Amino acid sequence: MSRKEIIAVILFILATVITIAGVVGVEAYRRRELYTVELTARAPEHGNWYPQEITVPLGEEVRILIRNIDTVSHGFALPDFEVAVPEIKAGQVAVVQFVANKSGTFPFLCTVWCAGRHMEMRGELIVE
Amino acid sequence: MSEDKLFGLIDLNFRFELTKFKLVRALCKSRWLPLLLILFNLFIFVIILLAGLFGGYSAGNYNFGIMMVWILWWVLLILMLVPGFARMWCLMCPFPIFSDWAQRGKLFEVRQGKLGGLNLKWPKRLSSMWVLNLAFLATTFFSGFFTVRPFATFILLGIIILVAFLTGLVFQKRTFCLYLCPVSGFQGLYSQFATAEVRRKDPEICKKHTPKTCFVGNEKGYGCPWLRTPFDFAKNTYCGLCLECFKTCPHDNMALNLRPPGVDLLVDTKREPRGLDEAYKAFIMLGIAIVFYLAFQGPWGVIKDMVRATTLEGYLGYITFHTVFNLLIIPGIFFLFAYLSKLFSGNKEVPLKKIFTNFSYTLVPLGLGVWIGFSLGIILPNGSYLLHILSDPFAWGWNLFGTAHFPWTPVLTHLLGYLQGATLIVFYLFSIAYGFRSSRQTYPDLPQARRGWIPMLGLLTLITTAFLWLFMG
Repeated sequence: MSRKEIIAVILFILATVITIAGVVGVEAYRRRELYTVELTARAPEHGNWYPQEITVPLGEEVRILIRNIDTVSHGFALPDFEVAVPEIKAGQVAVVQFVANKSGTFPFLCTVWCAGRHMEMRGELIVE
Repeated sequence: MSEDKLFGLIDLNFRFELTKFKLVRALCKSRWLPLLLILFNLFIFVIILLAGLFGGYSAGNYNFGIMMVWILWWVLLILMLVPGFARMWCLMCPFPIFSDWAQRGKLFEVRQGKLGGLNLKWPKRLSSMWVLNLAFLATTFFSGFFTVRPFATFILLGIIILVAFLTGLVFQKRTFCLYLCPVSGFQGLYSQFATAEVRRKDPEICKKHTPKTCFVGNEKGYGCPWLRTPFDFAKNTYCGLCLECFKTCPHDNMALNLRPPGVDLLVDTKREPRGLDEAYKAFIMLGIAIVFYLAFQGPWGVIKDMVRATTLEGYLGYITFHTVFNLLIIPGIFFLFAYLSKLFSGNKEVPLKKIFTNFSYTLVPLGLGVWIGFSLGIILPNGSYLLHILSDPFAWGWNLFGTAHFPWTPVLTHLLGYLQGATLIVFYLFSIAYGFRSSRQTYPDLPQARRGWIPMLGLLTLITTAFLWLFMG
């Protein structure tokens, strides 16, 4: 195999295997290490919060990555922990951080009038 | 033809050889071209596929895959690559690299002897654009999903890559590109209008040169992967611009030329005849442009809901109408005008099929103009989203180039209708220019050609007026 052929094969591997491994690796690392949970926001007509129920351990620091994958703005509020993001524009992400210092079930909701069924855009945080 | 001037200005035989510049010729002869472009696009498409998996589900305008494929790639293809450089995308398309590697066993070097795989010949009766026509039409059934669901784009690209690979294992060379790739057909058809071509320079050199290394290959390169005969082909339709013929020609007798747009529309030889398959490609492209405009850029939400399958009944209605409209109604209307052309000409000898087929090529410039207008309606309002997704391709919250928070900024949208209208009129003029020449080729004498041209001119004017109303009305 000539040197040029080897370079071509290396470039091919970089473009495919290494790229795939890199992206999958970063994605796994993010989910495992950086955030307690990832929450995607969509209007109820298109899927609502996902997941709609989040369970976190009592007394731990919680980091939630909120991804608005919708075509409209959303907001986020978790009133019992005084956590809120007034507006997350379409395609943008936000991170909220708090200590889950009380047990129970607490509602979180969208605070931007996002769609006809906006009032249904709710979920629950369970601290146990 | 040497006296024939387009709009009385440009000699249709005019050619400007780009490969007379040493650098351009050296690039064409280098085995790194197009390999490096292919590898770069392979990297981009791997990112696009991964973004289809990780980059969100419903926000099409903030998904790297959707924006790169349906905004950037499509618009580049229609606005620049095809009208300017014919099948230049095929030159750098990454999808066949897997089957090429499997067949050749090498990425860079040239394999001597028989290629790997079964190397079967594609059935002769399917060696046309018919399968491409149906494949592209079927692909558009799902157009309402591709632009809003990243996973739908992932599935489409995944299927294309897989079928390209499997086809390459079974059939010879670039059979997939020639006869199966959904985006191959319209590139081939509209490449006839392109302002660039690859052709042999001196026919005498080719005549004396045996063996035909451009067709059979040698130690410098492969015989034409697109199964053309570079020593004598005269149309861009099936030339994939792979540049292998530059590498294999020992006499440097291949040229990359600039030329007047559309000259291939007048080519009708025994080896490269006009055909009903290409005629139907022209009809389908025009029909799809109409339906797409109504669904995606018009004010009729009910049509958009049908295309996006809000209800099953509506979606099935869309598929049915779309199919009938493209395969029956548009060709039917065209047939009627072809019949009128025959009546007007007073010629009873010329077969109606010939009139129908010959005049269908007048839709190539007009169809391309319609698609350019439609694509302006995509890029001008939505192009600014590209800045966002380039900085944050996986919606991970990155800001690679500092443009992740660049707001949606429509560009020149107040002039969009005028730009679309002006584009359409320019391409309409090309359609007329070539249409009358087609009429001269169809009918034996000038008076008949003039009379026979009248109904077709009327039809082209009607179509143009209808689109002007849609774009500017």
